[in-house]
Amino acid sequence: MKNNPYLDELESKSIYIIREAYWEYKEKLAILWSMGKDSTVLAHLARKAFFGHLSLPVIHIDTGFKFKQIYEFRRKYAKIWDLDLRIARNAIALKRKISPVKDGRFACCSQLKTEALKQIIRKYRLRALLVAIRRDEHAIRAKERYFSARDKSFKWDYQNQPMELWAEHYKTNNQAGAHLRIHPLLHWREIDVWEYIKQEGLPVVDLYLSRHKKRYRSIGCQCCCQPIVSEANTINKIIKEIRDTNIAERSGRSQDKEREYMMQKLRSLGYM
Amino acid sequence: MQDCLKVVVAGDVDAGKSTLIGRFLYESGSVVDGAIANITESCRKQGNDFEFAYLLDSLEEERAGRLTIDTTQVFCRDKKGRQWLFIDVPGHRELFRNMLVGSSYADVAVLVVDAQRSLREQTKRHSQVLKFLGIRRFIVVINKMDTACYNKKIFLKEKERVSGFLRKIKIKPACCVPVSAKQGDNLFNNSRRTNWYKGATLIEALTITCRKPGGNNFRMPVQDVYKLEGKNIIAGRIIAGRIKAGEKVNILPSDEESRVKEIRVFKQNIPSAGFPENIGLILDNSEGLARGMILAKPRLPDVKTRVLAKIFCVYPLKIREGLRFKSATQNVAAHIKRIDAVWGTADLKARPKTGLLRQTDLAEIVIAVERPVVTERFEGGNTLGRFVLENKGREICAVGIIA
Repeated sequence: MKNNPYLDELESKSIYIIREAYWEYKEKLAILWSMGKDSTVLAHLARKAFFGHLSLPVIHIDTGFKFKQIYEFRRKYAKIWDLDLRIARNAIALKRKISPVKDGRFACCSQLKTEALKQIIRKYRLRALLVAIRRDEHAIRAKERYFSARDKSFKWDYQNQPMELWAEHYKTNNQAGAHLRIHPLLHWREIDVWEYIKQEGLPVVDLYLSRHKKRYRSIGCQCCCQPIVSEANTINKIIKEIRDTNIAERSGRSQDKEREYMMQKLRSLGYM
Repeated sequence: MQDCLKVVVAGDVDAGKSTLIGRFLYESGSVVDGAIANITESCRKQGNDFEFAYLLDSLEEERAGRLTIDTTQVFCRDKKGRQWLFIDVPGHRELFRNMLVGSSYADVAVLVVDAQRSLREQTKRHSQVLKFLGIRRFIVVINKMDTACYNKKIFLKEKERVSGFLRKIKIKPACCVPVSAKQGDNLFNNSRRTNWYKGATLIEALTITCRKPGGNNFRMPVQDVYKLEGKNIIAGRIIAGRIKAGEKVNILPSDEESRVKEIRVFKQNIPSAGFPENIGLILDNSEGLARGMILAKPRLPDVKTRVLAKIFCVYPLKIREGLRFKSATQNVAAHIKRIDAVWGTADLKARPKTGLLRQTDLAEIVIAVERPVVTERFEGGNTLGRFVLENKGREICAVGIIA
C-alpha cells in the first residue's frame, strides 16, 4: 500500500486518462518519451495502467543533440522495461546539419522536433500521443486541456478548446487526419514529480543530480540547456531545493525565452 | 505533503479576477525570479502600467486585448507552506464554456465584484453554475476599493446588494472582503486604508481544509476489460467506498452478482482497495462484462430508463433531439422527453416552455434513455449523481445533476 494520499490522487487521475486514451485509440496511441523526469513518470504510469503489460509504442524524438547520458538511459531502460521503442528523426534536416547556431532556435526546434514528430505520426498512422507536459512549467501550457486536438497541419486552436468536466468527461475523439495530444500529467507540479519518483523508486538520468556543484533541472538538447548551481546530489535534496527556490524550472531552456511569445508560436505550430 | 485547496475565481468582465490572483501570487512569494521584470518590460513596450494579470494571461491575444480568453490554473505556496490551486476563468459571455472547465473540480469559489460597477450578469451566472456544480463555500471580494476611496459606505452597499442576490439562489457566503487587488489591500494583511473593516483577510478566508467525501458504499464504473495472462481484468477507478478480495459485488444495470477473486494494482495482488484507486478486478464470472457497467455494494444505486434531472445548457438544445447521456463511463442514447421548468440565469425569471433551451438556461427535465442507466441523487460530489448530454457532434451541450 502507498502512503501519500495527495500523490495517490494525482496518480489516479493520470491513470484514468491514460486508460480513456487507450479505450478510444488502442494501437493508434503512442507515448512520447524524452527520458526526462516527466516522461519517465508517464511511461511508468502507463505501465501501471496496463498492469505491467505496456503494448503501446514509445517514441523518442531524437534531434541528435541530446546528452550522451540520455542515450545511455534510453538504451538501458528500453530494455529493462521491454519498451516498443521507435526513434523519430528528421533525416533531411539532420543531413543538412541544421543547428540552433546556424539556423536559429525557432527553426531548429521546429525542424528537428515538430517536423520529426510529423513524419513518425504519418509513418505509423498514429492518431493520438501521450505527452508529459505540465501546467506549472509554462504559462502557455497552463492553458492546455487533457485531451487537446491538433489539426492536419499540427495547429493548436487555443482559442476554441473543448469542455472537460470533473475528473471523468473529456473530448476524446478527433476528426480524421488530425491527431490528439493527451496530457495525463497536466495537473502535476515539478515537486510532485520528484516526490513520486522517490515514492515509486524510479530511475532518472544522472544529469539531474549535482556534480561539481551544478545540475540540470530540465534536460533536452545539450546545446540549449544550461545547468543551475546546486549541491543537490540526491532525490531528497532535489525535493528540498525545489521547495526553497524561486527560480523557474525551465529557466535553463533557451527555446522558452529567445523572444516574446516564442513558446506560444512554437506550440501553435505543433511543438510540445 | 499538505493538501492543496482548489479555488475558482469568478466574476464579470474586468472585475479584476486575473489581477487578484496575480497579486495574491506576488504577495505569497510564489512568483518566480525574472517574471516581474519580464512583465514590466512587456507592459512598457505596450505603453501600459504594470499588470499583475500578465502572470496569468500569457497569450499574445490576451495581453493585447487585455482580457482572459481561456481558463488557466496556477499553483501558489506561501512561506508557511499553505498551498492553493487558483483557477482563473474568462468573464465574457461568449467564453462561458471555458469558464466551466476548471470550475468543475474547485473546492471554493471567490466571486469578484467591482466596487464601482456592482454585480452584473456574469457574476450572477457564475455563482449559479458554481453552486450547480457542487461548490458549497463562497467568498465575496469587493474589488477596486482604491477607486472607491476605500469608502465604508460604498463597501456596505455593495455587500448588501451581492448578499441579497446570493440569498435568492440560496448561497450564504462565508465572508465579504473589501480589496484592492492592484494595491494589495486585505489580501495577506489587514489594510490601514480600510481600518473600519474587522473581518477576515482573503488569505484567512482561504485557510481551510476541504474534503469531498466519496461515500461509504463501494462504486466502480467499468472503464475497460483487458485480456491479460489468460484472464479478464476489469479496469476501473473506485469512485466511492472500499472493496476486499473475496467479497461479492453486484453488476449493474443487469443486477447479476459475482465474487472478487483478485484485486490487481500494477503487477501485484492486493487484499483491499478504496477511493480513489485505479484497480483491476478479477471476478469469478466476468462473462459479458463491459465498459459502462457499474460494480457496487452493499447499498445499490438506482437503475432507471427515465431520469429526472436539472440541467444547465451550454449549447442550445431541443426537446426530442438525439443526444448521448454520459455519466461515469456510461454512454447511452437519450433524448429530452419533457421540460418541466426553465429559468434564465441572469434574471432568475421563469421562461415559457417552448421545447427549446437556450445557452445558459437552467431547466428541470425528464430524460428518456435507450437502455437502463445507473444513477444516484446528486449530493455535491458523487460521480453517479452527475452527467453530461452530448450532441451528434460529440460536443457537451448540457451539464446535469440527478434530482
